[in-house]
Amino acid sequence: MRSDRLSASNTQVDTQGACRYALRLKDVSKTFGNRHAVDHMDFDLPRGAFLSIFGPNGAGKTTLLRMLSTLSRPSAGSIELLGIDIKEHPDQARRHIGFISHQSMLYGDLSAEENLMIAARLYGVVHPEQRVADMLDAVELSHRRLDLARTFSRGMTQRLSIARALINDPDIVFLDEPYSGLDPHAVEVFDELIASVRADRTFVMVSHDLDKGLAACTHALVMARGRRVYFSSREDLDRDSFSDLYRRTVGMGVS
Amino acid sequence: MAIEIQTPSTWQQYRTLLGKDLRREFRTREMLTSMGMYALLVLVVYGAALSQTSHSFDILQMSGGLLWAVIIFTSLLGLNRSFAHEKENGCLDGLLLVPLDRSVIFLAKATSNFLFMIVVELITVPLFAFFFLSTSPADTWPLIITPLLIGTVGIAGIGTLLSTITVNTRGKDVLLAVLFIPLIFPLLYACVSATTVALVGGDVEAIYMNALLLAGGYDVVMLLLSWVLYDFVVSA
Repeated sequence: MRSDRLSASNTQVDTQGACRYALRLKDVSKTFGNRHAVDHMDFDLPRGAFLSIFGPNGAGKTTLLRMLSTLSRPSAGSIELLGIDIKEHPDQARRHIGFISHQSMLYGDLSAEENLMIAARLYGVVHPEQRVADMLDAVELSHRRLDLARTFSRGMTQRLSIARALINDPDIVFLDEPYSGLDPHAVEVFDELIASVRADRTFVMVSHDLDKGLAACTHALVMARGRRVYFSSREDLDRDSFSDLYRRTVGMGVS
Repeated sequence: MAIEIQTPSTWQQYRTLLGKDLRREFRTREMLTSMGMYALLVLVVYGAALSQTSHSFDILQMSGGLLWAVIIFTSLLGLNRSFAHEKENGCLDGLLLVPLDRSVIFLAKATSNFLFMIVVELITVPLFAFFFLSTSPADTWPLIITPLLIGTVGIAGIGTLLSTITVNTRGKDVLLAVLFIPLIFPLLYACVSATTVALVGGDVEAIYMNALLLAGGYDVVMLLLSWVLYDFVVSA
């Protein structure tokens, strides 16, 4: 993969350079009616870290990710992203965010190039044509740039989705179950691509794949019933006891 | 390779979003085809329903109401589709991740809905006149253009807000109609009055102007309300 094209060197968004933490959560909760989807979540994540979030279905992982990425507002507590309070200044925070999901966020009836061009223009990339060409080149889709996104295979769609997420050269990238629906080869390509853009960026990934999540991470968070069950850096993590904890947590279910 | 980012103007973002909707529609013709076909079918049903009326029956008296019934039901069909494709593949989330004022999303979507409805009206209204206005309308008939424009602006604006609210619900098709028709009723009433007076003739100055004032005032209030509420609605 052409990592040079995707490298994190955006001087425009590097306004929070002094901030040590990519994310700081203080007593964050999200409630839907009487149900606590996320319950009093606290943690600090240093810049450049890779956080993997594990937990059973309904543990609140995706809800947490949506709050961190400004897609959903916390019911209580505060979230700082690179020192920016995302409740107070969501648009300022959004400039630093990229989001890759199992959903592509691409318009199937528009071409690969058109999809990226829309994103580039909305973010205000100064030379959008050049940036789009670079990104298509980086994810090796230049030869399909005029083809409609709906004609792409799942793996190609995921690559285009990565290009879209990185069009604004974000400092923090959120990954919501990115391996969902990918075949082994596409998983391999996806891993290579993520490794190539790793650089100084911070990553937060929700995954059900324990092996993949642990291999990539510098920090791990386990959630159950909306609460933090475990949070640690990779160095302090003992694989056997972590696997045991994970199995017990998954066994706890949702409620 | 460093990239340079400059906060785009609201106008640039609006143009990008509107261009996206127009490009997508003119490529697929999804909304225009379904709305156009539906309008034609309603006209066919009208033809069947009115085929047994006596010669003395003056259809002109109810033509304003019939025309607006076609427009309302056709626009409901289009509005239901307008946000459905934003939900496919999580595209709406993609827009919400961008640092842009949510009201720009509303304005762009309302504008594209307005334009699509106007295109369908350009086909429907002449056909309606050809088939159903057998007796000559009053000389004031060109005045129907203003209520059509004001009514379509209101339908597009309120409809865009409501289709955003209902897009995530299970029975979104029914729910949109249940919310939309009562809310649009004052506008509909005013537009039907103005259209009927323009076609039939009579006290055009008093009835027509009052109806237009009501419709225009309704548009301004509801569009401002939709604009203000949109951030809350789309982020909920």
